[in-house]
Amino acid sequence: MIDRTKELIKVTDLRKSFGKLEVLRGISQNIFVGDVVSIIGPSGSGKSTFLRCLNLLEVPDSGSIVFDGQEITGRKNARSIDATRQKIGMVFQHFNVFPHLKVIDNITLAPMLEKHVDRAAAEEQAAELLRRVGLLDKRNEYPTRLSGGQKQRLAIVRALAMEPEVILFDEPTSALDPEMVKEVLDVISDLARSGMTILIVTHEMGFAKRVSDTVLFIDEGQILESGTPEEVFEEPKTERCRAFLNQVLY
Amino acid sequence: MGELIPAIWQKYGYVYIQGAWGTVYIALLTVFFGTILGTLLSFLRLSRVRPLQWIVQVYIWILRGTPTLLQIYFFYFYLPRYLPFEMSERACIITALVVNASAYVEEVIRAGIQAVDRGQTEAARSLGMTARHTMTRIVLPQAFKNILPALGNEFIVMIKQASLASIFFIVELTSAFKTVQSATFITIPALIISGAIYLALTTVLSALMKLVEKRLQSND
Ligand SMILES: Nc1ncnc2c1ncn2[C@@H]1O[C@H](COP(=O)(O)OP(=O)(O)OP(=O)(O)O)[C@@H](O)[C@H]1O
Ligand SMILES: [Mg+2]
Repeated sequence: MIDRTKELIKVTDLRKSFGKLEVLRGISQNIFVGDVVSIIGPSGSGKSTFLRCLNLLEVPDSGSIVFDGQEITGRKNARSIDATRQKIGMVFQHFNVFPHLKVIDNITLAPMLEKHVDRAAAEEQAAELLRRVGLLDKRNEYPTRLSGGQKQRLAIVRALAMEPEVILFDEPTSALDPEMVKEVLDVISDLARSGMTILIVTHEMGFAKRVSDTVLFIDEGQILESGTPEEVFEEPKTERCRAFLNQVLY
Repeated sequence: MGELIPAIWQKYGYVYIQGAWGTVYIALLTVFFGTILGTLLSFLRLSRVRPLQWIVQVYIWILRGTPTLLQIYFFYFYLPRYLPFEMSERACIITALVVNASAYVEEVIRAGIQAVDRGQTEAARSLGMTARHTMTRIVLPQAFKNILPALGNEFIVMIKQASLASIFFIVELTSAFKTVQSATFITIPALIISGAIYLALTTVLSALMKLVEKRLQSND
Protein backbone atom coordinates (compact mmCIF):
# COMPACT_ATOMS: atom_id res chain seq x y z
CA MET A 1 0.00 0.00 0.00
CA ILE A 2 1.02 3.56 -0.52
CA ASP A 3 1.84 5.41 2.66
CA ARG A 4 0.52 8.87 1.87
CA THR A 5 1.75 10.26 5.15
CA LYS A 6 5.38 9.61 4.26
CA GLU A 7 7.36 12.68 3.32
CA LEU A 8 9.18 12.01 0.05
CA ILE A 9 10.73 15.37 -0.75
CA LYS A 10 11.38 18.19 1.69
CA VAL A 11 12.58 21.43 0.15
CA THR A 12 13.79 24.17 2.47
CA ASP A 13 14.62 27.74 1.45
CA LEU A 14 15.92 26.85 -2.00
CA ARG A 15 17.77 29.66 -3.77
CA LYS A 16 19.31 29.85 -7.22
CA SER A 17 20.72 32.70 -9.32
CA PHE A 18 22.01 32.80 -12.87
CA GLY A 19 24.61 35.56 -12.73
CA LYS A 20 22.79 38.59 -11.33
CA LEU A 21 19.34 37.13 -12.01
CA GLU A 22 17.75 35.66 -8.87
CA VAL A 23 15.56 32.90 -10.25
CA LEU A 24 14.59 31.04 -7.07
CA ARG A 25 14.18 33.22 -4.00
CA GLY A 26 13.56 30.90 -1.10
CA ILE A 27 11.31 27.99 -2.01
CA SER A 28 10.10 25.63 0.69
CA GLN A 29 7.67 22.79 0.08
CA ASN A 30 6.99 19.29 1.37
CA ILE A 31 5.85 16.59 -0.99
CA PHE A 32 4.30 13.38 0.28
CA VAL A 33 4.25 9.95 -1.33
CA GLY A 34 1.46 9.73 -3.88
CA ASP A 35 1.03 13.50 -4.14
CA VAL A 36 0.22 14.99 -7.50
CA VAL A 37 1.54 18.54 -7.50
CA SER A 38 0.91 20.94 -10.36
CA ILE A 39 3.14 23.97 -10.72
CA ILE A 40 1.73 26.97 -12.53
CA GLY A 41 2.99 30.49 -13.03
CA PRO A 42 4.08 33.03 -15.62
CA SER A 43 6.91 32.47 -18.07
CA GLY A 44 10.33 32.99 -16.55
CA SER A 45 9.07 32.67 -12.98
CA GLY A 46 11.45 29.79 -12.17
CA LYS A 47 9.17 26.75 -12.56
CA SER A 48 11.61 24.76 -14.70
CA THR A 49 14.55 25.80 -12.57
CA PHE A 50 12.74 24.58 -9.43
CA LEU A 51 12.01 21.22 -11.05
CA ARG A 52 15.57 20.88 -12.38
CA CYS A 53 16.99 21.60 -8.93
CA LEU A 54 15.08 18.62 -7.52
CA ASN A 55 17.24 16.16 -9.49
CA LEU A 56 20.23 18.49 -9.49
CA LEU A 57 20.31 19.17 -13.22
CA GLU A 58 20.72 22.65 -11.76
CA VAL A 59 22.77 22.99 -8.60
CA PRO A 60 21.05 25.29 -6.10
CA ASP A 61 23.11 28.06 -4.49
CA SER A 62 21.68 27.44 -1.04
CA GLY A 63 18.88 25.70 0.80
CA SER A 64 18.36 21.99 1.13
CA ILE A 65 16.54 19.16 -0.58
CA VAL A 66 15.92 16.02 1.41
CA PHE A 67 14.79 13.07 -0.68
CA ASP A 68 13.54 9.93 1.05
CA GLY A 69 15.17 11.07 4.30
CA GLN A 70 18.54 11.74 2.64
CA GLU A 71 19.93 15.18 2.00
CA ILE A 72 20.95 15.35 -1.68
CA THR A 73 22.20 18.94 -1.80
CA GLY A 74 25.70 19.95 -0.76
CA ARG A 75 29.07 18.95 -2.08
CA LYS A 76 29.49 15.85 0.06
CA ASN A 77 26.39 14.27 -1.48
CA ALA A 78 27.44 14.92 -5.08
CA ARG A 79 28.94 11.45 -5.37
CA SER A 80 25.69 9.59 -4.86
CA ILE A 81 23.82 11.77 -7.34
CA ASP A 82 23.53 9.08 -10.04
CA ALA A 83 21.90 6.67 -7.59
CA THR A 84 19.49 9.38 -6.42
CA ARG A 85 18.55 10.32 -9.96
CA GLN A 86 17.57 6.71 -10.65
CA LYS A 87 14.73 7.26 -8.19
CA ILE A 88 13.66 10.61 -9.69
CA GLY A 89 12.32 10.32 -13.22
CA MET A 90 12.08 13.34 -15.49
CA VAL A 91 10.08 14.04 -18.64
CA PHE A 92 11.00 17.02 -20.77
CA GLN A 93 9.09 19.42 -23.00
CA HIS A 94 11.07 18.32 -26.06
CA PHE A 95 10.93 14.57 -25.27
CA ASN A 96 14.69 14.04 -25.57
CA VAL A 97 14.26 10.46 -26.73
CA PHE A 98 17.51 8.90 -27.99
CA PRO A 99 17.30 9.06 -31.81
CA HIS A 100 20.09 6.53 -32.44
CA LEU A 101 18.39 3.79 -30.43
CA LYS A 102 15.31 1.73 -31.27
CA VAL A 103 12.23 2.34 -29.15
CA ILE A 104 12.86 -0.76 -27.05
CA ASP A 105 16.55 0.12 -26.53
CA ASN A 106 15.59 3.64 -25.43
CA ILE A 107 13.83 1.97 -22.52
CA THR A 108 16.23 -0.86 -21.66
CA LEU A 109 19.54 1.03 -21.87
CA ALA A 110 19.57 2.71 -18.45
CA PRO A 111 18.19 -0.24 -16.43
CA MET A 112 20.74 -2.57 -18.03
CA LEU A 113 23.70 -0.21 -17.59
CA GLU A 114 22.96 1.25 -14.19
CA LYS A 115 20.83 -1.33 -12.40
CA HIS A 116 22.46 -4.34 -14.07
CA VAL A 117 19.12 -5.82 -15.09
CA ASP A 118 19.76 -8.60 -17.63
CA ARG A 119 18.60 -8.05 -21.17
CA ALA A 120 15.74 -10.55 -21.14
CA ALA A 121 14.21 -9.08 -17.99
CA ALA A 122 14.71 -5.51 -19.22
CA GLU A 123 13.04 -6.26 -22.55
CA GLU A 124 10.14 -8.01 -20.88
CA GLN A 125 9.59 -5.01 -18.63
CA ALA A 126 9.92 -2.63 -21.59
CA ALA A 127 7.37 -4.61 -23.61
CA GLU A 128 4.93 -4.45 -20.70
CA LEU A 129 5.42 -0.69 -20.40
CA LEU A 130 5.02 -0.20 -24.15
CA ARG A 131 1.80 -2.19 -24.09
CA ARG A 132 0.52 0.02 -21.30
CA VAL A 133 0.92 3.15 -23.46
CA GLY A 134 -0.12 1.55 -26.74
CA LEU A 135 3.31 1.52 -28.38
CA LEU A 136 4.13 -2.18 -28.36
CA ASP A 137 3.94 -2.40 -32.17
CA LYS A 138 6.62 0.32 -32.43
CA ARG A 139 9.21 -1.50 -30.33
CA ASN A 140 11.64 -2.02 -33.20
CA GLU A 141 11.20 1.38 -34.86
CA TYR A 142 13.59 4.28 -34.49
CA PRO A 143 12.06 7.28 -32.69
CA THR A 144 12.18 9.47 -35.83
CA ARG A 145 9.29 7.38 -37.09
CA LEU A 146 7.12 8.37 -34.11
CA SER A 147 4.73 11.31 -33.79
CA GLY A 148 5.28 13.88 -31.04
CA GLY A 149 2.67 12.26 -28.81
CA GLN A 150 4.23 8.84 -29.31
CA LYS A 151 7.69 10.21 -28.53
CA GLN A 152 6.45 11.71 -25.29
CA ARG A 153 4.74 8.46 -24.29
CA LEU A 154 8.04 6.71 -24.99
CA ALA A 155 9.89 9.25 -22.83
CA ILE A 156 7.44 8.58 -19.99
CA VAL A 157 7.89 4.81 -20.05
CA ARG A 158 11.65 5.23 -20.42
CA ALA A 159 11.56 7.07 -17.08
CA LEU A 160 9.21 4.46 -15.57
CA ALA A 161 11.58 1.64 -16.49
CA MET A 162 13.97 2.84 -13.77
CA GLU A 163 11.10 2.35 -11.28
CA PRO A 164 11.41 5.86 -9.85
CA GLU A 165 9.66 7.03 -6.70
CA VAL A 166 8.64 10.33 -8.27
CA ILE A 167 8.41 11.73 -11.78
CA LEU A 168 9.02 15.35 -12.69
CA PHE A 169 7.22 16.61 -15.78
CA ASP A 170 8.31 19.92 -17.32
CA GLU A 171 5.54 21.09 -19.66
CA PRO A 172 5.16 17.63 -21.20
CA THR A 173 2.52 18.73 -23.72
CA SER A 174 3.75 22.21 -24.68
CA ALA A 175 5.62 21.02 -27.77
CA LEU A 176 2.75 18.85 -29.03
CA ASP A 177 0.22 19.46 -31.76
CA PRO A 178 -3.19 20.01 -30.12
CA GLU A 179 -4.60 16.66 -31.25
CA MET A 180 -1.83 14.81 -29.42
CA VAL A 181 -2.14 16.51 -26.06
CA LYS A 182 -4.87 14.21 -24.79
CA GLU A 183 -3.05 10.94 -25.40
CA VAL A 184 -0.15 12.15 -23.28
CA LEU A 185 -2.31 13.66 -20.51
CA ASP A 186 -4.23 10.37 -20.34
CA VAL A 187 -1.02 8.48 -19.64
CA ILE A 188 -0.10 10.95 -16.89
CA SER A 189 -3.61 10.69 -15.38
CA ASP A 190 -3.29 6.91 -15.28
CA LEU A 191 0.05 7.27 -13.53
CA ALA A 192 -1.48 9.66 -11.01
CA ARG A 193 -4.30 7.22 -10.31
CA SER A 194 -1.81 4.37 -9.84
CA GLY A 195 -0.33 6.27 -6.90
CA MET A 196 2.84 7.62 -8.50
CA THR A 197 4.19 10.79 -6.92
CA ILE A 198 4.15 13.49 -9.59
CA LEU A 199 5.33 17.06 -9.94
CA ILE A 200 4.20 18.66 -13.16
CA VAL A 201 4.79 22.11 -14.59
CA THR A 202 1.88 22.72 -16.92
CA HIS A 203 -0.18 25.29 -18.75
CA GLU A 204 -3.08 22.84 -19.04
CA MET A 205 -5.24 24.37 -16.31
CA GLY A 206 -8.16 21.97 -16.78
CA PHE A 207 -5.83 19.04 -16.37
CA ALA A 208 -4.17 20.58 -13.30
CA LYS A 209 -7.61 21.08 -11.76
CA ARG A 210 -8.65 17.49 -12.40
CA VAL A 211 -5.62 15.48 -11.32
CA SER A 212 -3.78 17.52 -8.68
CA ASP A 213 -3.88 17.19 -4.94
CA THR A 214 -1.89 20.40 -4.65
CA VAL A 215 -1.40 23.37 -6.95
CA LEU A 216 1.58 25.69 -6.51
CA PHE A 217 1.56 29.14 -8.05
CA ILE A 218 5.13 30.37 -8.53
CA ASP A 219 5.92 33.97 -9.39
CA GLU A 220 9.33 35.65 -9.45
CA GLY A 221 10.98 32.69 -7.78
CA GLN A 222 8.62 32.32 -4.85
CA ILE A 223 5.62 30.14 -4.10
CA LEU A 224 2.83 32.67 -3.75
CA GLU A 225 -0.03 30.20 -3.46
CA SER A 226 -0.19 26.62 -2.35
CA GLY A 227 -3.40 24.71 -1.89
CA THR A 228 -6.00 22.38 -3.33
CA PRO A 229 -7.08 23.07 -6.91
CA GLU A 230 -10.32 24.57 -5.55
CA GLU A 231 -8.45 26.94 -3.26
CA VAL A 232 -6.00 28.14 -5.89
CA PHE A 233 -8.29 28.25 -8.91
CA GLU A 234 -11.54 29.38 -7.28
CA GLU A 235 -10.34 31.63 -4.49
CA PRO A 236 -6.78 32.79 -5.13
CA LYS A 237 -5.51 34.83 -2.22
CA THR A 238 -3.03 37.01 -4.13
CA GLU A 239 -3.71 39.62 -6.76
CA ARG A 240 -0.86 38.26 -8.91
CA CYS A 241 -2.34 34.77 -9.05
CA ARG A 242 -5.78 36.20 -9.89
CA ALA A 243 -4.27 38.24 -12.73
CA PHE A 244 -2.35 35.22 -14.00
CA LEU A 245 -5.45 32.99 -13.97
CA ASN A 246 -7.50 35.67 -15.71
CA GLN A 247 -4.92 35.76 -18.45
CA VAL A 248 -4.59 32.02 -19.02
CA LEU A 249 -8.30 31.21 -18.59
CA TYR A 250 -9.34 34.11 -20.92
CA MET B 1 52.39 17.00 -76.12
CA GLY B 2 49.50 14.69 -75.18
CA GLU B 3 51.19 11.82 -76.99
CA LEU B 4 54.08 12.05 -74.52
CA ILE B 5 51.89 10.96 -71.62
CA PRO B 6 51.60 7.26 -72.60
CA ALA B 7 55.29 7.18 -73.35
CA ILE B 8 56.23 8.59 -69.99
CA TRP B 9 53.79 6.30 -68.26
CA GLN B 10 55.29 3.29 -70.00
CA LYS B 11 58.79 4.10 -68.87
CA TYR B 12 58.17 5.73 -65.49
CA GLY B 13 54.82 4.30 -64.40
CA TYR B 14 56.47 2.52 -61.50
CA VAL B 15 57.79 5.83 -60.17
CA TYR B 16 54.25 7.21 -60.08
CA ILE B 17 52.86 4.06 -58.50
CA GLN B 18 55.51 4.17 -55.80
CA GLY B 19 54.71 7.85 -55.36
CA ALA B 20 50.97 7.25 -55.11
CA TRP B 21 51.58 4.53 -52.54
CA GLY B 22 53.83 6.93 -50.60
CA THR B 23 51.11 9.57 -50.59
CA VAL B 24 48.40 7.14 -49.46
CA TYR B 25 50.70 5.73 -46.78
CA ILE B 26 51.54 9.15 -45.39
CA ALA B 27 47.89 10.27 -45.50
CA LEU B 28 46.63 7.07 -43.84
CA LEU B 29 49.14 7.28 -41.00
CA THR B 30 48.45 10.97 -40.55
CA VAL B 31 44.70 10.55 -40.41
CA PHE B 32 44.91 7.50 -38.14
CA PHE B 33 47.26 8.93 -35.54
CA GLY B 34 45.96 12.47 -36.02
CA THR B 35 42.48 11.23 -35.16
CA ILE B 36 43.64 9.40 -32.03
CA LEU B 37 45.63 12.40 -30.84
CA GLY B 38 42.88 14.83 -31.83
CA THR B 39 40.27 12.80 -29.93
CA LEU B 40 42.39 12.80 -26.78
CA LEU B 41 42.89 16.56 -27.13
CA SER B 42 39.17 17.18 -27.54
CA PHE B 43 38.47 15.22 -24.34
CA LEU B 44 41.05 17.32 -22.52
CA ARG B 45 39.48 20.48 -23.84
CA LEU B 46 35.97 19.36 -22.89
CA SER B 47 37.11 18.38 -19.41
CA ARG B 48 36.27 20.73 -16.58
CA VAL B 49 39.96 21.22 -15.79
CA ARG B 50 40.87 24.78 -16.76
CA PRO B 51 44.69 24.38 -17.12
CA LEU B 52 44.17 21.43 -19.48
CA GLN B 53 41.80 23.51 -21.60
CA TRP B 54 44.38 26.28 -21.80
CA ILE B 55 47.18 23.96 -22.83
CA VAL B 56 45.08 22.52 -25.65
CA GLN B 57 44.02 26.01 -26.72
CA VAL B 58 47.63 27.19 -26.98
CA TYR B 59 48.60 24.00 -28.84
CA ILE B 60 45.84 24.60 -31.40
CA TRP B 61 46.56 28.30 -31.60
CA ILE B 62 50.16 27.62 -32.62
CA LEU B 63 49.46 24.78 -35.03
CA ARG B 64 46.63 26.53 -36.82
CA GLY B 65 48.38 29.87 -36.88
CA THR B 66 51.67 28.81 -38.48
CA PRO B 67 52.32 27.22 -41.90
CA THR B 68 52.44 23.44 -42.05
CA LEU B 69 55.72 23.65 -43.96
CA LEU B 70 57.34 25.58 -41.13
CA GLN B 71 56.15 22.95 -38.68
CA ILE B 72 57.65 20.22 -40.84
CA TYR B 73 61.01 22.02 -40.87
CA PHE B 74 60.83 22.30 -37.11
CA PHE B 75 60.28 18.57 -36.60
CA TYR B 76 62.76 17.69 -39.37
CA PHE B 77 65.58 19.60 -37.69
CA TYR B 78 64.75 19.16 -34.01
CA LEU B 79 63.36 15.67 -33.57
CA PRO B 80 66.55 13.83 -34.66
CA ARG B 81 68.67 16.11 -32.52
CA TYR B 82 66.82 15.66 -29.24
CA LEU B 83 65.27 12.23 -29.43
CA PRO B 84 67.19 9.46 -27.66
CA PHE B 85 66.58 7.06 -30.57
CA GLU B 86 67.10 7.12 -34.35
CA MET B 87 64.25 8.51 -36.40
CA SER B 88 64.07 8.48 -40.18
CA GLU B 89 63.39 11.67 -42.10
CA ARG B 90 60.10 10.25 -43.24
CA ALA B 91 59.07 9.50 -39.65
CA CYS B 92 59.93 13.08 -38.63
CA ILE B 93 57.80 14.48 -41.40
CA ILE B 94 54.89 12.17 -40.67
CA THR B 95 55.11 13.15 -37.00
CA ALA B 96 54.86 16.80 -38.00
CA LEU B 97 51.84 16.07 -40.19
CA VAL B 98 50.18 14.04 -37.40
CA VAL B 99 50.66 16.86 -34.89
CA ASN B 100 49.34 19.35 -37.43
CA ALA B 101 46.32 17.18 -38.26
CA SER B 102 45.51 16.61 -34.58
CA ALA B 103 44.80 20.31 -34.15
CA TYR B 104 42.25 20.29 -36.95
CA VAL B 105 40.76 16.95 -35.90
CA GLU B 106 40.36 18.23 -32.34
CA GLU B 107 38.16 21.05 -33.63
CA VAL B 108 36.12 18.68 -35.77
CA ILE B 109 35.49 16.27 -32.90
CA ARG B 110 34.74 18.92 -30.32
CA ALA B 111 32.30 20.63 -32.66
CA GLY B 112 30.67 17.25 -33.38
CA ILE B 113 30.23 16.53 -29.67
CA GLN B 114 28.94 20.00 -28.91
CA ALA B 115 26.43 19.78 -31.75
CA VAL B 116 24.60 16.98 -29.92
CA ASP B 117 21.54 18.48 -28.22
CA ARG B 118 22.08 19.21 -24.50
CA GLY B 119 18.72 17.62 -23.88
CA GLN B 120 20.22 14.23 -24.74
CA THR B 121 22.75 14.53 -21.93
CA GLU B 122 20.11 15.82 -19.53
CA ALA B 123 17.77 12.95 -20.34
CA ALA B 124 20.51 10.38 -19.81
CA ARG B 125 21.71 11.92 -16.55
CA SER B 126 18.14 12.24 -15.27
CA LEU B 127 17.76 8.47 -15.72
CA GLY B 128 20.73 8.07 -13.40
CA MET B 129 23.23 7.24 -16.12
CA THR B 130 26.82 8.02 -15.18
CA ALA B 131 28.76 10.75 -16.98
CA ARG B 132 30.89 8.10 -18.68
CA HIS B 133 27.94 6.03 -19.90
CA THR B 134 26.21 9.19 -21.09
CA MET B 135 29.28 10.07 -23.16
CA THR B 136 29.91 6.60 -24.60
CA ARG B 137 26.32 5.44 -25.16
CA ILE B 138 24.41 8.63 -25.91
CA VAL B 139 26.64 11.52 -26.98
CA LEU B 140 29.49 9.91 -28.93
CA PRO B 141 27.32 7.67 -31.16
CA GLN B 142 25.34 10.75 -32.20
CA ALA B 143 28.44 12.94 -32.52
CA PHE B 144 29.98 10.31 -34.78
CA LYS B 145 27.52 11.20 -37.54
CA ASN B 146 28.58 14.84 -37.38
CA ILE B 147 32.25 13.97 -37.18
CA LEU B 148 32.68 11.40 -39.92
CA PRO B 149 32.05 13.63 -42.96
CA ALA B 150 34.40 16.28 -41.59
CA LEU B 151 37.06 13.64 -40.96
CA GLY B 152 36.69 12.53 -44.57
CA ASN B 153 37.44 16.08 -45.67
CA GLU B 154 40.48 16.05 -43.42
CA PHE B 155 41.66 12.88 -45.17
CA ILE B 156 41.48 14.64 -48.54
CA VAL B 157 43.40 17.60 -47.16
CA MET B 158 46.04 15.16 -45.91
CA ILE B 159 46.48 13.55 -49.31
CA LYS B 160 47.25 16.97 -50.72
CA GLN B 161 49.34 18.09 -47.73
CA ALA B 162 51.57 15.04 -48.09
CA SER B 163 53.01 16.80 -51.16
CA LEU B 164 54.95 19.00 -48.73
CA ALA B 165 57.11 15.95 -48.03
CA SER B 166 58.48 16.19 -51.59
CA ILE B 167 60.57 19.13 -50.44
CA PHE B 168 62.48 16.68 -48.29
CA PHE B 169 62.81 14.12 -51.09
CA ILE B 170 60.35 11.68 -49.51
CA VAL B 171 58.76 9.35 -52.06
CA GLU B 172 55.23 10.49 -52.82
CA LEU B 173 53.23 11.75 -55.80
CA THR B 174 54.66 15.24 -56.13
CA SER B 175 58.25 14.01 -55.79
CA ALA B 176 57.39 11.37 -58.42
CA PHE B 177 56.72 14.23 -60.81
CA LYS B 178 60.01 15.87 -59.86
CA THR B 179 61.92 12.62 -60.43
CA VAL B 180 60.41 12.08 -63.87
CA GLN B 181 60.78 15.72 -64.84
CA SER B 182 64.48 15.83 -63.97
CA ALA B 183 65.11 12.54 -65.80
CA THR B 184 63.25 13.52 -69.01
CA PHE B 185 63.12 17.33 -68.99
CA ILE B 186 59.46 16.96 -69.94
CA THR B 187 57.43 19.06 -67.52
CA ILE B 188 53.75 19.47 -68.30
CA PRO B 189 52.89 15.86 -69.26
CA ALA B 190 54.80 14.60 -66.22
CA LEU B 191 52.80 17.02 -64.08
CA ILE B 192 49.50 15.99 -65.64
CA ILE B 193 50.06 12.35 -64.70
CA SER B 194 50.64 13.25 -61.03
CA GLY B 195 47.59 15.51 -61.06
CA ALA B 196 45.41 12.82 -62.60
CA ILE B 197 46.41 10.33 -59.91
CA TYR B 198 45.70 12.90 -57.17
CA LEU B 199 42.27 13.49 -58.68
CA ALA B 200 41.57 9.78 -58.88
CA LEU B 201 42.51 9.31 -55.21
CA THR B 202 40.46 12.22 -53.90
CA THR B 203 37.46 11.38 -56.10
CA VAL B 204 37.36 7.77 -54.94
CA LEU B 205 37.69 8.92 -51.34
CA SER B 206 34.85 11.43 -51.71
CA ALA B 207 32.62 8.78 -53.23
CA LEU B 208 33.41 6.39 -50.37
CA MET B 209 32.57 9.07 -47.83
CA LYS B 210 29.23 9.77 -49.53
CA LEU B 211 28.42 6.07 -49.35
CA VAL B 212 29.23 5.86 -45.64
CA GLU B 213 27.20 9.00 -44.89
CA LYS B 214 24.20 7.57 -46.68
CA ARG B 215 24.50 4.37 -44.67
CA LEU B 216 24.59 6.34 -41.46
CA GLN B 217 21.61 8.49 -42.34
CA SER B 218 19.41 5.62 -43.49
CA ASN B 219 19.12 4.17 -39.99
CA ASP B 220 17.64 7.16 -38.26
N1 LIG C 1 20.99 28.07 -17.65
C1 LIG C 1 20.53 29.33 -17.51
N2 LIG C 1 21.37 30.37 -17.63
C2 LIG C 1 20.93 31.64 -17.50
N3 LIG C 1 19.66 31.97 -17.26
C3 LIG C 1 18.76 30.99 -17.15
C4 LIG C 1 19.15 29.61 -17.28
N4 LIG C 1 18.04 28.85 -17.11
C5 LIG C 1 17.02 29.70 -16.90
N5 LIG C 1 17.45 30.98 -16.92
C6 LIG C 1 16.62 32.17 -16.68
O1 LIG C 1 15.97 32.01 -15.44
C7 LIG C 1 14.63 32.49 -15.48
C8 LIG C 1 13.68 31.40 -15.04
O2 LIG C 1 13.74 30.35 -15.99
P1 LIG C 1 12.80 29.08 -15.92
O3 LIG C 1 13.13 28.29 -17.11
O4 LIG C 1 12.94 28.43 -14.61
O5 LIG C 1 11.35 29.72 -16.05
P2 LIG C 1 9.97 29.00 -16.28
O6 LIG C 1 9.09 29.43 -15.16
O7 LIG C 1 10.15 27.56 -16.47
O8 LIG C 1 9.45 29.68 -17.62
P3 LIG C 1 8.67 29.07 -18.87
O9 LIG C 1 7.22 29.01 -18.49
O10 LIG C 1 8.93 30.04 -19.97
O11 LIG C 1 9.25 27.71 -19.14
C9 LIG C 1 14.40 32.97 -16.89
O12 LIG C 1 14.58 34.36 -16.92
C10 LIG C 1 15.51 32.29 -17.68
O13 LIG C 1 15.89 33.09 -18.78
MG1 LIG D 1 10.01 26.25 -18.13
